[in-house]
Amino acid sequence: MVAPPANRPTVVASALRIFDLSLGQMLWSRRSVFLAILVGGPVLLAAAIRLATILEHLFVHAGNNKQIGGVTLFGMMIWLLYVHVIVPVLGVFYGTALIADEVDDKTITYLFTRPIPRRAVLIGKYLSYLTCTILLVLPSVVAVYFLIVPINGGSVGRSFPLLLADLGMLAAGLIAYGAVFALVGARLKRPLVIGLVFAFGWEPGVLLVPGYLKRATVAYYLQALVPHQMPLDTTTIGILTQMFDRFPSITTSLAWLAAMTVSALWWASRAVEDREYVLEQ
Amino acid sequence: MTSRTRYFVIASLLALLIGLGTGLVAYYVGFPTRAFFAGDGPDELQFVPPDATLVAFANVREIMTSDVRERARRALLRLPNGQEQFRNETGINIETDIDRVVACLGRLAEGGEGAGRASLVLARGRFDAVRIESLMRDHGASVADHGGVRLITGAESSAHPGGLSLAFIEPGLVGVGSASLVRAAIDLKNGGKSVTTNDDMMKLVRSLDAGNVWAVGRFDALASQAKLPSGLAAELLPITWFAASAHVNGGLRGVLRAETRDEASANNLRDVVRGFLALAKLQAGSRPELQSLMQSLDLGGAGTTVALSFSLPVEMFDRLGAAVGQGILKPR
Repeated sequence: MVAPPANRPTVVASALRIFDLSLGQMLWSRRSVFLAILVGGPVLLAAAIRLATILEHLFVHAGNNKQIGGVTLFGMMIWLLYVHVIVPVLGVFYGTALIADEVDDKTITYLFTRPIPRRAVLIGKYLSYLTCTILLVLPSVVAVYFLIVPINGGSVGRSFPLLLADLGMLAAGLIAYGAVFALVGARLKRPLVIGLVFAFGWEPGVLLVPGYLKRATVAYYLQALVPHQMPLDTTTIGILTQMFDRFPSITTSLAWLAAMTVSALWWASRAVEDREYVLEQ
Repeated sequence: MTSRTRYFVIASLLALLIGLGTGLVAYYVGFPTRAFFAGDGPDELQFVPPDATLVAFANVREIMTSDVRERARRALLRLPNGQEQFRNETGINIETDIDRVVACLGRLAEGGEGAGRASLVLARGRFDAVRIESLMRDHGASVADHGGVRLITGAESSAHPGGLSLAFIEPGLVGVGSASLVRAAIDLKNGGKSVTTNDDMMKLVRSLDAGNVWAVGRFDALASQAKLPSGLAAELLPITWFAASAHVNGGLRGVLRAETRDEASANNLRDVVRGFLALAKLQAGSRPELQSLMQSLDLGGAGTTVALSFSLPVEMFDRLGAAVGQGILKPR
C-alpha cells in the first residue's frame, strides 16, 4: 500500500479551495442572469401586489373584490413560486452543471490533474452552489415576506415563525435537490434533460398517484415541511393532489431528506472518483 | 475569492440578517401589525380601556366581500337582520361604511348608567358625520362636548339603559357604545394607559393567528354575556382566559382556545369536550349536512391550554341553507 504524499491537501482543504474558486465563477456567469430573474421575479411581483393594495386603499373605498390576508398570500407564493418552481429549477440547472459544465467546457482535466482528491471537486462545487443559491433565494423570500404579509392587516411579528420555517424548508430543498441533481450530473449523460424530466415530470406525476411511489421524490418530503396550507386548487390535478396529500411528519421528512442528500453526494463522489470522463473532440 | 464576490456575499448576508432581525424584534417586542406602523394588534386598541375584560376584532370589509358571507346570507335569509336596527339608530351601513371593527366589554357598571356590562365598538371606515348626528337627533339624542369631540348620546332604552353614545374620535374612526367607554376612548386619544398595557390581554392577542376575526378575554366576561346555565358555568369555571380566531373567506377555519388554571383542569376539560364531540359525531351520522363540520373538529392543546380547531368548506353553508330550507334545521 502506497502512503499518500505528506504534503497532499486533505479533502476538506481541497473542497474549500474549489469552493473559493467556483463561487465567483458561479455568481458571475451567464447563468446568473437567469438566477437573478428567477429570484427577483417574486420580489417584483410582491412589490406590484403591495403597490396595487396601497392604491386600492387610497382610491377604492368599497368594492366587491375578494380580499385575502397577507399571510395567506405569502403562503401561496411560497407554494406556487418557490416550492413548485424556483427550488427545483435551481437544483436542476446548477446541480446538474456542477461536473457536466466542466466536461462540456473540457476544463475538467485541469481540475483532475491537480494534486487533490477528485471528490473534493464535487464537494467544493456543491458547497459553492449551496452558498450561491441560499444567499440569493433566502433574502428574496425575506423581501417578499415584508412586502406581502402586512397586506390586509397581517402581522409581521406574529407570522415570524412561519418565515423561519419557510427559510429552513427552502434551504433543505436546495440542499436535497442540489445533491440529487449533482448525482445526475456526475453519472449520466444529458443530465439537464433527465433533471428536468425528473423535477417537472416524474415528481408532480408521482405525487398524484396513490401508493408508495411518491416516496421516491424529494417534493414529497419537502412539501411536508411547508408550514402553510396548500392553496385550494379546484382543477382535476389539484383535487387529485389534495386527495392523496398525506404527508409524513416533519422529523421523518427531515430524516429522509438528509439520507437522500448524504447518499446522493456519496454516490456522486464515487462516480467522480471512478468514472473516466471522455472529452469529445 | 474576488472582492466583487466578497461584497456580494456580505451584502446578501446583511440583507438576510436585517430581515431576520426585524422579524425577530417584531415577534418579541410585538411591534407592527403592519411593518413600520405603531402599535400591536389593530391600531384601535389604543382607545380601549386597560381594564377591558373582552376584546374582539373583525375585518368587516374582508368578511363582507367573502364567499362565506354571501353563502351564509343566502342560507339564513329568514334570520332577523340586526344590521337594519343598527342602521336605523345610527345611520351607519355596516356593509359599505365600515372597514374594520374593534369591540370591547368593560367592567360591570355599578348601577346608574346600566345594569349590564359597559361595551364599546370602535369602527374604522367612511362615515357621514352630519347625517349620522342628524339621524340620532331625530331619534331624541342629545349632543355634548367631551375633550373637544362631539359626544352624541341617544335616548335611554332597555337595550341601552344609559343611552347609546357615539363620537367621531378621529377622522374615519367612530366609537359607539356605553357613554362611559366612549368618553374613556376620547380621553385615550391624547395618550394614557390603554389595553395595550394589559400584558395578560396582549399576550393572548399576540398569540392569535392572523385571522380576520378574533376575540380574547376573561372567561367570566363571556359566561355572563352568554348567560350560561349555572351548572354548566360552574363546570367550566377553571377556565381563566379564552381566545378565538377565525379566517372567513374560502371557507371558515379557526380555533377556539381556553386557558385553564392548572393542567388537571385542562385534562378534565379535554375529556368533557371529547365526550361532547363523540356524542355530536354520533348525532351527525344521520345528518349528512353536519358531517363535514364534525369531521373537521380537532381537539388539541398542551399544558393548561385546550384548543379546538375547525374548518368548514364554503359548500357547507349551501348544505346548511338547504337544510334550513327543508325545515331540517330551524332558525331560532
